[in-house]
Amino acid sequence: MSELLANLALGFSVAAHPYNIGFCLLGALVGTLVGVLPGIGTVATVAMLLPITFGLPPVGALIMLAGIYYGAQYGGSTTSVLVNIPGEATSVVTCLDGHQMARQGRAGAALSIAAIGSFFAGCVSTVLVAALGVPLTSLALLFGPAEYFSLMVLGLIFAVVLAKGSVLKAIAMIVTGLLLSMVGSDLETGAGRMTFDIAELSDGIGFTNVAMGVFGFAEIIRNLEMSQESRDIVKGKIKGLMPTRQDLIDSSGAIARGTILGSLLGILPGGGAVVASFAAYTFEKRISKNPERFGRGAIEGVAAPESANNAAAQTSFIPLLTLGIPPNAVMALMVGAMTIHGIVPGPQVMTKQPELFWGMIASMWLGNLMLVIINLPLVGVWVTLLRVPYRLLYPSIIVFCCIGIYSINNSPTDVVIAAIFGLFGYWLTKHEFEPAPLVLAFVLGPLMEENLRRAMLIARGDATVFATRPISAGLLACALFLLLLAALPMIRKRRDEVFVE
Amino acid sequence: MSEGAKTSPNGGGFRFKVRGPRDFYGGLALIALAILASWASGDLPGMHGFAFGPGTAPRLFASLLAAVGALVALGGLLFDGPPIESYAIRGPAWVILGILAFAAMIRGFNLGFIRLPPLGLVPSTFAAFMISIFGSSEFRWVESLIAALAMTAFCVVLFVYLLQLPFQLWPWY
Repeated sequence: MSELLANLALGFSVAAHPYNIGFCLLGALVGTLVGVLPGIGTVATVAMLLPITFGLPPVGALIMLAGIYYGAQYGGSTTSVLVNIPGEATSVVTCLDGHQMARQGRAGAALSIAAIGSFFAGCVSTVLVAALGVPLTSLALLFGPAEYFSLMVLGLIFAVVLAKGSVLKAIAMIVTGLLLSMVGSDLETGAGRMTFDIAELSDGIGFTNVAMGVFGFAEIIRNLEMSQESRDIVKGKIKGLMPTRQDLIDSSGAIARGTILGSLLGILPGGGAVVASFAAYTFEKRISKNPERFGRGAIEGVAAPESANNAAAQTSFIPLLTLGIPPNAVMALMVGAMTIHGIVPGPQVMTKQPELFWGMIASMWLGNLMLVIINLPLVGVWVTLLRVPYRLLYPSIIVFCCIGIYSINNSPTDVVIAAIFGLFGYWLTKHEFEPAPLVLAFVLGPLMEENLRRAMLIARGDATVFATRPISAGLLACALFLLLLAALPMIRKRRDEVFVE
Repeated sequence: MSEGAKTSPNGGGFRFKVRGPRDFYGGLALIALAILASWASGDLPGMHGFAFGPGTAPRLFASLLAAVGALVALGGLLFDGPPIESYAIRGPAWVILGILAFAAMIRGFNLGFIRLPPLGLVPSTFAAFMISIFGSSEFRWVESLIAALAMTAFCVVLFVYLLQLPFQLWPWY
């Protein structure tokens, strides 16, 4: 316990450094700013803003990125409440009751409850990350290559199970992602693989190019197809920002339950914030005494999913920071960012760079506090921003992405590759393939191959090693069980229901 | 495939009808990707002893993708699904053209028969903005030009002056 406090104290001393507070504030602000723009999700926001952290020291860069991440998440809920357009998948359910509240003139209460719920969830999950960090890191020491491989299989299977739509197609995306990650030089021999003698491909396809193409450009292309007329911005001034006493009493239980549910779901690889918010909303509706209020402006319907997605957003750092395995697409971007700064995510981060690890955790809490303080007064600014027409917005996003991609390696080829992935992403949506599992697999691919090769070498070519080592066998059994569960049509139907609701 | 369905609507025991075209053609495309990948990694050495060679994993994943793609396509053949949405041309074309214009102009290129000197950040950003904005059907000249100038100025200030990234600004610099 005292060790935990000492660690947190170290973290706060790092995070409270004026520079780092500045980065955190800037990240949260910029993240909210971009997250508020309709049609740009969290992943696209983080991908887009990745380049602006390049010049910073590693601790500052990661603190800022984390700030961008939850800022974007918060910004997404603002759009949901005010315009009824979910800025991202995690705030789809927030639309249901949040926008209804806004129409009843209670936008202020909805936004502040979302902020308060997020802050409470942030406090709890920060402590949770800090508390679970150490034991999980020591668990990581028991992991050999076989266990790592099996764990990544489990993570990918989670991504499959929790992706919406067909399980088979999600698997197809995973395999496509793995295959694409093989492009470039072989880790051991340096032989060029599938590079088609293009010099720029010998380093592999850059992760940011894939992410920006599939999430950024493809999203823009898809948005252009849809009519922009359907925006329904809440008009007039938003008054009464502070929730009433009754609001707080009504939502306190929902916030607590959302936090618990979100924290648990966030830790599981493959899931994260999206599932958490859906699950929390469904759960609230189910236990409510009068469920018919939901969808008509019930404050619990805002409080629960917003708390849950924030809790999950933070606890999803746990697998990344302790085991080095990104549990979702945003965390995959964080891996990319860490790699750019020369940090290999995994258990060694905590032991070798404690100030980075704990500083980041402490900054999450500070960032949440900042979101509450800065965003409530700024709601008016966000509303103005929402009035910028999309026809002027999207070319701005495109040039911003172009400059960002180019600046990573000063390589025009990277921009072309991102454009190709933009078209690929557009094609994927036309065939209802989910891009998120692809991106996750793309990041895990090289790690998986490396561990697979090592495990096979250590076991002298005996593939049964994955089943004979107990931890590995357990993980694989979990994966298999999950897959069977998801493949059962009955469960699949119920799963669809959750997402339709 | 669809011809088969027309010529033998109820003949033979075997009839081709694509019930779920999204899955069917999606699966076929994945198989094509897998074939391309296994062709591209075909010349790489595979296993030696019990050590993986550089070609092992790519071929492993390629055959896995072919198998999964085949299953997806089979699903499209057997089960009803929605038709493929039509592809928009205007949006994607201008957006991609804008991005490619940026890539071509920022550093210039030399393809032997055609070459372009590096034009720098300012013209590239402006051009990319002005090209991609044609993707929207609600295009208006004046506001677009103003927005393009404003965005170019913003990017120069942010990336060059605030973030200190090394960019060539103009063609003559």
